[in-house]
Amino acid sequence: MPHRDDALPQTTFSYFFREAARRMWVSKRTSFVAVAMIAISLFIVGAFLLVAENLGRAVAQAGGKSRVNIYLTTDATPQQIAAVDSWLAAHGEFAGRRFVSKEVALTRFRQYFANLSDVVGQLDENPFPASFECEIAPAVAQSPAFAQQAKELRAIPGIDEVQFDWEWVEKLKKLINLVNLAGIIAGGVLAIAAAFTIANVIRLTMLLYREEIDIMRLVGATERMIRGPFLIEGILQGFIGAVAAIALLFAAFAAGRHFLAPHYSLLWSFLFNGFLPWRKLLPLLAGGTLAGYLGSWLSVRESGEEEPLSS
Amino acid sequence: MIHFYHVTKRFDQYSTALHDVTFHIEKGEFVFLTGASGAGKSTLLKLILRQIQPSDGQVVVNGRNLKSMRRSQLPFFRREIGMVFQDFKLIERMTVFENLSFILTVLGIPPREHKKRAYGALRAVSLHHKLNAYPLQLSGGEQQRIAIARALINEPLVIVADEPTGNLDPDLTQEIVQIFAEANMRGSTVLIATHDRELIEQSGRRVITLDRGRITDERVAVPQRAPRVESIFGIGG
Repeated sequence: MPHRDDALPQTTFSYFFREAARRMWVSKRTSFVAVAMIAISLFIVGAFLLVAENLGRAVAQAGGKSRVNIYLTTDATPQQIAAVDSWLAAHGEFAGRRFVSKEVALTRFRQYFANLSDVVGQLDENPFPASFECEIAPAVAQSPAFAQQAKELRAIPGIDEVQFDWEWVEKLKKLINLVNLAGIIAGGVLAIAAAFTIANVIRLTMLLYREEIDIMRLVGATERMIRGPFLIEGILQGFIGAVAAIALLFAAFAAGRHFLAPHYSLLWSFLFNGFLPWRKLLPLLAGGTLAGYLGSWLSVRESGEEEPLSS
Repeated sequence: MIHFYHVTKRFDQYSTALHDVTFHIEKGEFVFLTGASGAGKSTLLKLILRQIQPSDGQVVVNGRNLKSMRRSQLPFFRREIGMVFQDFKLIERMTVFENLSFILTVLGIPPREHKKRAYGALRAVSLHHKLNAYPLQLSGGEQQRIAIARALINEPLVIVADEPTGNLDPDLTQEIVQIFAEANMRGSTVLIATHDRELIEQSGRRVITLDRGRITDERVAVPQRAPRVESIFGIGG
C-alpha cells in the first residue's frame, strides 16, 4: 500500500487547524493562561521597543542639525550681551544666531513643563538665564577649528556656559541602546517562561487526549498527524498572544497620548510621539508565534509511541 | 499472510502469555481463534498489530517481519489491518460519522468522499441512521457494529477482530459474521477471536484453539445441521 500521507495533503492541514481550534475552545482556561503569558511578555518587550522608538525619533529630529546654546550669566550687562552678539556676528559659523531673553526662556519652560509652572511662579525672580541659540552645520561642529572657537567663546565675559546639543543626542543614543537591550533581555526571559507555559499547557492537553491518541496510533495515524494539531495549537496560542500584546500596547499608547501627553511635559510628548512601525510589530508577531511553536514542540517531541519491549 | 514462528511472549518472569506458538494463516483464509479467558488470544492479536513485541520468535504479517519493522513504517502497516477491538476504541467526543471520517482523513481520502464512504460502511452494519449519534448514546452492540464499520471502511488486507460478537444477540451475530464473510470473499484475510462455540462449530472454517498460551488444537470445524450461521458460510444443507 502506498504511503499516502508522506506529503501531508491540504485536508490534513485543515484537520490540524480545526482540531487545534476545537481543543483550545474545550480547554479555554488553560489556553487563556498560555495566551496571557505570551501577551504579557510581548507587551513588556513592546513597551521597551516603543520607548526606544520614540526616543529614536527625537534623536532623528535633532540629528539633521547641531545646535549650540550659549547661556549668559543672570547678571550679564547689556554691554556684555552686545559684545557676545558682536563676536558671534564676526564668526560666520555662528551667524545664524537667535537671542532668547529671560522672559522667553521662562515662557518656554512653562509651555514644555506645564506641571512645574506653579513651582516657578512661587519664586521671587525669573531663574532662567538669557541665551543665544546657534544652528551649526554638523560637519562644522565636529571640526577642530570649531572646537578652538568654542574655547574662545567660553572665555568671553558674561557667558556662563556653552552647551552643544549633540552631547545629549549621544547620551540619548546610549539610553536608547540600553532601553532596547533591557527590552530584549526582559522580553527574552519572559518569552522563554511563556514558551514553557505553553509547553505545559500542551502537555496537559495531550494527557487529556491520551486515550484518543492511543486509538489514533492503532488505526494508523502517523506521529505527524497526531502531533500536528498540538503544534498548531501552540502556534495559534503564540500568535493570538502576540496580537493581544500589540492590541494592548496600542490601547495603552493611545490612552497615554490622549490623557497624559497634553497635560504633562515635553518628555511625555516625546514618548507618545508615534506607535511602533510595522517593521517592529512584525518581529513581535513572529516572536510570539515562535515561542508558541517552541513550547508545543517541547511537549510533542517527547510524546512518541513507546517502542514495544520484547521482554 | 499471518505467520507466527515459535512465538513466546513473557510479560515478566512469572507471567508468560504465549509459549512457543507457531501457526500460519494464508491469504484469503477465514480463521477463528478460540480459547478460554486468559488463554492468550488478546496477546496474540496485539502481536499482530505490533502493540507489543514477542519475547522470542518472529511474527510476519503481509510479508513484513514485525520485529525488524521501523517505527516510522508502523502507521502504514496498521492501515493494512482492520482491527475490531474488544472495547471498541471509538473516540467518544466524536460522532459516529466523525469516527469514520477520521480514519478516512488518516488514509488521505478527500473529505468530499467521507460522507458517501461512511454512509456505505454504516449501511453494511445497518446503522446508517446513527450517523450523527455519539458512541455513548449507542448500545454496546451498536458500538460494536460501528467499530466493525470502521475496521472495514478501507477494505483492509487483513481483518482482525477481538470478540466482535460478544455484545450482540444471535440475529445481529449472524448479520455481523455475514459482513466478515463478505469482506473475506472480497479478498480480505480474516482472523476472529471468539468464545462463541456455536458460531465456530457451524462455520466450517479453520479453528485455532489456545489454552494457557499454547496452541492445543488446530482443525477445520465440521458444521452440524440447521445452525444459525450455516447460510452465511454457504455450508450445511
